[in-house]
Amino acid sequence: MFYIIGLGLGDAKDITVKGLEIVRKAERVYLEAYTSILTVGKEILEQYYGRSLIIADRDLVEQGADAILQDADTKDVALLVVGDPFGATTHTDLALRAKEAGITCKIIHNASIMNAIGCCGLQLYNFGETVSIPYWTDSWQPDSFYDKIIGNRKRGLHTLCLLDIRVKEPTLESLMKKKKEYQPPRFMSVCEAVEQLLEIINRKEAEAGDQGQMASSLCVGVARVGAEDQRIVACSLQEMKEVELGPPLHSLVIAGCLHPLEVEFLTQFARSKDALLEIAQTL
Amino acid sequence: MIYYRVLFKYSCNLEYAVGTILEHVGTICYNALNMCLCTLCLQVNFTVDEIRVMMDKKRNIRNMSVIAHVDHGKSTLTDSLVSKAGIIASAKAGETRFTDTRKDEQERCITIKSTAISMFFELEDKDLVFITNPDQRDKGEKGFLINLIDSPGHVDFSSEVTAALRVTDGALVVVDCVSGVCVQTETVLRQAIAERIKPVLFMNKMDRALLELQLEAEELYQTFQRIVENVNVIIATYSDDSGPMGEVRVDPSKGSVGFGSGLHGWAFTLKQFAEMYAEKFKIDVVKLMKRLWGENFFNPKTKKWSKQKEDDNRRSFCMYVLDPIYKVFDCIMNYKKDEAASLLQKLNIELKAEDKDKDGKALLKVVMRTWLPAGEALLQMIAIHLPSPVVAQKYRMEMLYEGPHDDEAAIGVKNCDPNAPLMMYISKMVPTSDKGRFYAFGRVFSGKVATGMKARIMGPNYVPGKKEDLYEKAIQRTILMMGRYVEAIEDVPSGNICGLVGVDQFLVKTGTITTFKDAHNMRVMKFSVSPVVRVAVEPKNPADLPKLVEGLKRLAKSDPMVQCIIEESGEHIIAGAGELHLEICLKDLEEDHACIPLKKSDPVVSYRETVSEESDQMCLSKSPNKHNRLFMKAQPMPDGLAEDIDSGDVNPRDEFKARARYLGEKYEYDVTEARKIWAFGPDGTGPNLLLDCTKGVQYLNEIKDSVVAGFQWATKEGVLSEENMRAVRFNIYDVTLHTDAIHRGGGQIIPTTRRCLYACVLTAQPRLMEPVYLCEIQCPEVAVGGIYGVLNRRRGHVFEEMQIAGTPMFVVKAYLPVNESFGFTADLRSNTGGQAFPQCVFDHWQVLPGDPMDAGTKPFGVVQETRKRKGLKEGLPDLTQYLDKL
Repeated sequence: MFYIIGLGLGDAKDITVKGLEIVRKAERVYLEAYTSILTVGKEILEQYYGRSLIIADRDLVEQGADAILQDADTKDVALLVVGDPFGATTHTDLALRAKEAGITCKIIHNASIMNAIGCCGLQLYNFGETVSIPYWTDSWQPDSFYDKIIGNRKRGLHTLCLLDIRVKEPTLESLMKKKKEYQPPRFMSVCEAVEQLLEIINRKEAEAGDQGQMASSLCVGVARVGAEDQRIVACSLQEMKEVELGPPLHSLVIAGCLHPLEVEFLTQFARSKDALLEIAQTL
Repeated sequence: MIYYRVLFKYSCNLEYAVGTILEHVGTICYNALNMCLCTLCLQVNFTVDEIRVMMDKKRNIRNMSVIAHVDHGKSTLTDSLVSKAGIIASAKAGETRFTDTRKDEQERCITIKSTAISMFFELEDKDLVFITNPDQRDKGEKGFLINLIDSPGHVDFSSEVTAALRVTDGALVVVDCVSGVCVQTETVLRQAIAERIKPVLFMNKMDRALLELQLEAEELYQTFQRIVENVNVIIATYSDDSGPMGEVRVDPSKGSVGFGSGLHGWAFTLKQFAEMYAEKFKIDVVKLMKRLWGENFFNPKTKKWSKQKEDDNRRSFCMYVLDPIYKVFDCIMNYKKDEAASLLQKLNIELKAEDKDKDGKALLKVVMRTWLPAGEALLQMIAIHLPSPVVAQKYRMEMLYEGPHDDEAAIGVKNCDPNAPLMMYISKMVPTSDKGRFYAFGRVFSGKVATGMKARIMGPNYVPGKKEDLYEKAIQRTILMMGRYVEAIEDVPSGNICGLVGVDQFLVKTGTITTFKDAHNMRVMKFSVSPVVRVAVEPKNPADLPKLVEGLKRLAKSDPMVQCIIEESGEHIIAGAGELHLEICLKDLEEDHACIPLKKSDPVVSYRETVSEESDQMCLSKSPNKHNRLFMKAQPMPDGLAEDIDSGDVNPRDEFKARARYLGEKYEYDVTEARKIWAFGPDGTGPNLLLDCTKGVQYLNEIKDSVVAGFQWATKEGVLSEENMRAVRFNIYDVTLHTDAIHRGGGQIIPTTRRCLYACVLTAQPRLMEPVYLCEIQCPEVAVGGIYGVLNRRRGHVFEEMQIAGTPMFVVKAYLPVNESFGFTADLRSNTGGQAFPQCVFDHWQVLPGDPMDAGTKPFGVVQETRKRKGLKEGLPDLTQYLDKL
């Protein structure tokens, strides 16, 4: 049996009871370590589970599926995924491969940022398409996510922006060589994301010829959702550029139309309550 | 020493002095003497300050290269110029070849590295009228500063010629009038025209035509006429009169063709003879020059000119130019003493006392060089017909500068303005006496370069606005370079050639130096030869490896073209243009750069990978996360397109609509598709294309860069044996992408593109291409049979065989695979009794027949060998590794 187990968002103890039971009895347990991270490291997890884990990096999960699935037809193999297996990160391909190989695949769900973002008070019902904001390079500066944000806003929907995580990503130069060199790990912070976003906004608005509407819209920055030191801040995009939310992981929400209850809930995270109410009225 | 003192009093003609000393004193004192001569020459002629004054008179500067086929007598001719007007010759000046400064150059009697010399020459008042363009001379200045670069004639060193052409505006094309226009003449001339270098022609070795071949006057005229025509045909192919350079053709009647003998030190243009006769005929010199060439005949009885040959008239050129020369030759060589004496009187030739006792060849030399001194005629030709930097840079700017043609740098270059921002191109590195350090040698096109000034040093990979390949450093020292002799100079203004100290550590081979913040690069040089022959080296003593690595770095710097590569397998590869080039490189590496004993592999050639048909299926590759899919096909390019890309006729910088139209007309490409060329590769300029044939794919532009990067990678390292690809067109037909940008970054797309392209190649009947030389062999008739034998054994094939008119020599032209060329020269010599002498120049790539995927064929063997050498897995690439299923 092959299990894909969600670990939740916070620390080692967020794993479900069902998940923990499987981890303890499984033959091999892989820890997927590139799409997201927990606030605690592999050692703490091992200590809590009372067993050893195998780190599965991008290469192993994407290209070494056979190695992971080996013997899974007769023995129990588990892959631990931060958040939910089919949440923000998509391990559908692995599940398909397992099925192809005639291996039964079982999913143990858990909380994901896709639902936990409800913590900021914005109703999950009112979220539109989710987007990711990738780190730009000199030559690669995609901005298609901007159009999606605009599309969501037009329909009055909030947009959840997931922020880039670079763990063991090969450098562009080394991609062309046989020997891989990896970039130092990087986690995009809310203010970095907002900076890139503002750059696109300025560019696009200059093209369209209107001024400053997006920059003053309401957004919510969240950090380390589900952990003890979780932080949430609500303010305008322009202001968010100055906000420092501490260690990773961060996410960002661009608000759409607000229900009075949403506004009320948000005020507890506002940098300035009056300013927030003012913005909320314009929405 | 007595002789020497006496002689020096008379002569400012150095070669004359040296020559005479040689004949009288013998070689023992020779070296001692020429040391003295050299020092004297330095003191007597010019100080750096005086040269510096001349440098400001930009209209009176001529930057020129001497180009020719090997053995056509460039260096010897150059000597006669230097002896006439040299300001500072190399430290070893006086040895017969001023410009061949290396020991091996003198031993082999060939030039290997190009060398610069400066000369000063004053035109007489009567000659100044020939300069009509006000940008060709500063008012009131008769003196000209001529910077001459002597470059190698052997094809293997063509890259030196390229580097020389870049910094000069004019070229003296030397052709042996006995052998005519040879392959290397054509190659370099073509290149000169492409760089917008204006040529003048010199027919060398007239002494041989007269003494050895005993050609009749009319026959000799025909020979000259044919050579002029051949040269003009080449010129016309690459430039026309309406082009920006104006009339480029050479024309004896205009004085842009010289005749003579560099070895004997005499030369003339029709101007010299027209001047002699102008008085007699009472015709203006310019008009008379026109009469002295071509279909102009004179009847001495009726004193009438005619345009047709009739019974009792003769061609004016034969009558007035060749006849006197023939007479001089005849009476001196046949010891007709009295006749000679009266002839000398007629020609106003006064011999010096010590020359009067001479006879035969020695006398002939003295007489001819007194009558028609080579330096005078050639320097006049150079000053009058070659362009000044002011004239040349006007039309060269657009070829030289990559940036917008109206920015400050472009305007500065265009006007050759010493007060504009600095723009200097470094064309090569010259080793200093200090091991491991180099002078950066180049031309100032705009502004001034000065000792101590801060400048931007930009390598060829610099992109404006970025920081790569860019250094901001102070220029340690500005120097004048004359052969190996260097002299510090405060600053150098636009239009001049100079060297820089302290720049070598920031540039690999070439680069641009500027003070203008927004300057783009000067265009990199395009070499006419490619490094197709390679050899692996390793130190005999493994502990010497660091020295080898350091030595390879220096070697790469010191030669404009050689490539030093480290393979994945750890092998150190040196790639050069040919066997001789490699031989010299290896020798330099062993003796000068690394200074350690080396083990060398047998030379091998590099191959290209291509396809022969369209992919037999739509190739799909999925990204590692399986969310992105690429659908592509490969197909061979139509014949000629790869060559068009090589030559730059089709290039990435073209305006895309014009390029699409061109591809549509010439190669029947679909114009809408041809407008969407994403990239050329490898290296952004290579002869493979990536086309976007998709229809309405969302987010496609967001993966374009990654796809192009994968394409560059795949075309650089082909699927068969990691050789470059060539002449393959890749079409992207469809793309499925994840909606979220983060799931389709470079990490996902680049390797996928490569896999997909590999699958495309493997399904399109892959083939190998090998480089082929154009081989020109000169030999007497008896040796022709031997040549055929050797060529047949080496898979060569002859496509032209002809006799050189008026000689018993034959020229055989053949295509010869480079792979079969190792030891060819030696083999040829031994089979023809040493009478055949080949010149091989890279010509084209040719498919090696056979399927490399089929064990037992020749290409299969080559692929396996290459893979083994590169440390790759042996066997064939597996399609299933690259092709995914839906």
